[in-house]
Amino acid sequence: MNKEELKQKIIQIMEEKVKKGGKTKIYLKDLQREIPDANPREIKNAANELVREGKLEYFSTGSTVMFGLPGVGMGLEAGVEKPEE
Amino acid sequence: MGEVKKHDTPKVDQLKTGPWPSFVDDIYSYAEKHKNQACFDIMGQMELSYTNKETHWKHGGIVGVFGYGGGVIGRYSDQQEKFPAIWAFHTVRVHHTAGKWYHTSALKKLCDMWDSRGSGVVNFHGSTGDIILLGTVTDQLEPIFFDLTHQLHWDLGGSGSNLRSPACCMGKSRCEWALIDVQELDYELTMAFQDELHRPAFPYKFKFKFSGCPLDCVAAVARADMSFIGTWRDDIRIDQEAVRAYVRGELKPNAGAFSDRDWGPFDIKKEVIDLCPTKCMYWDENEQKLYINNSECNRCMHCIAVMPEALRPGQDTGIAILIGAKAPILEGAQLSTLIVPFMKVEPPYDELKDFIYKAWDYWMENGKNRERIGELIQRVGLNKFITEVMGLTPIPQHVRVPRDNPYIFWKEEEVEGGWTRDVAEFRKRHPA
Repeated sequence: MNKEELKQKIIQIMEEKVKKGGKTKIYLKDLQREIPDANPREIKNAANELVREGKLEYFSTGSTVMFGLPGVGMGLEAGVEKPEE
Repeated sequence: MGEVKKHDTPKVDQLKTGPWPSFVDDIYSYAEKHKNQACFDIMGQMELSYTNKETHWKHGGIVGVFGYGGGVIGRYSDQQEKFPAIWAFHTVRVHHTAGKWYHTSALKKLCDMWDSRGSGVVNFHGSTGDIILLGTVTDQLEPIFFDLTHQLHWDLGGSGSNLRSPACCMGKSRCEWALIDVQELDYELTMAFQDELHRPAFPYKFKFKFSGCPLDCVAAVARADMSFIGTWRDDIRIDQEAVRAYVRGELKPNAGAFSDRDWGPFDIKKEVIDLCPTKCMYWDENEQKLYINNSECNRCMHCIAVMPEALRPGQDTGIAILIGAKAPILEGAQLSTLIVPFMKVEPPYDELKDFIYKAWDYWMENGKNRERIGELIQRVGLNKFITEVMGLTPIPQHVRVPRDNPYIFWKEEEVEGGWTRDVAEFRKRHPA
């Protein structure tokens, strides 16, 4: 599987999870579990490249990092809005 | 600048009455001087937390700036109406220098930047080692990153499932016992693993720490997933005349470090020989001579620290590599385990980098979510990790406790003829 195919596969997995009503943010490990025939390091590189392209975004739990589709599920501001001045 | 709103904080104020310098004093004096509402609001929210006995911080979401998967920890107040100046109060981790040496002009520039773009509150340093800039809003993150990298030439540190900012002791810059150039090693590995530092790669966090000698001033053995400790493999150098000077009381033990009270005359047997963990030392009273069985020494360096003028580490130096320390999350706190007792390290450190990649590759493939590498080793077994994963030959020093289970499980390849050997043929030769 080349890098472009891997990136497509990652997006496909994320979209399918959301469609099924599953998690909108997933760990790198979960991606690796879904694509067992690819090297974990290649999956990491592809997922990070997708973030740079704006097709995925990071979401922090504070101590670990998850990946999500931009605009889907809880936003980066974690539902916190700036109060009115 | 409008009027600032101060909060009544009787519980927090009590912290100013103790014998030690108080962060409450520091934050209030900064808040008064700069009329900084965020600082007054931190104190107000802390007072509320003391009253309610629960935190009013929420965290998560934001991880960094564009392209970075770490370096910023999102933090929000859940009392936004009461404390609007800290509605968002993100923490920015700035990668510290090796050995934590700074030029004051660099620190002044950093503080000026933080005065204008953040709360003005800093923490030198956080547990991981980074400089912690406490409290800014989301809109300021990219400008802070631009200022840090383009004007100050510094970088963000690690957070999340990344390699965290590697940390080392002061090494050869101050310490006569530094057996390796930890600052060089720290810098080299930091630059080599930039991708792992800034982009999430692992099931959980991963920390490197470097100590120049086994005294381990950075507490790498307790805190790092992978510790690199300076060590030696030849003999401890002994100056017998200096040993005798210690015994006669002419030299102060521990270089006078415990001279604040009278501990009585120096007793080499009680303070050195009996405290040797491997019992590899012997003081001959008649000969007035110290003997060390170096093959049994585990390089704890206690004797050298007690009698620094008499004993010095050997001269054939390198590193010991230990893996697996962590604080209690899944399996409770644990210290690192010695994996490689000695490795020569010289630029470009290729052998060391190969070792690190080997451990990472296995962890990335087999580690569970939020499982540190030490917990993975606990789960699969140290034996398997050493032999099958790292391809090393086990040595007696890897064994912490002798086997108490009399049953040995052999693998097929370890048994002559495997599982399919002809038992009838075997019994002909061994009828009983």
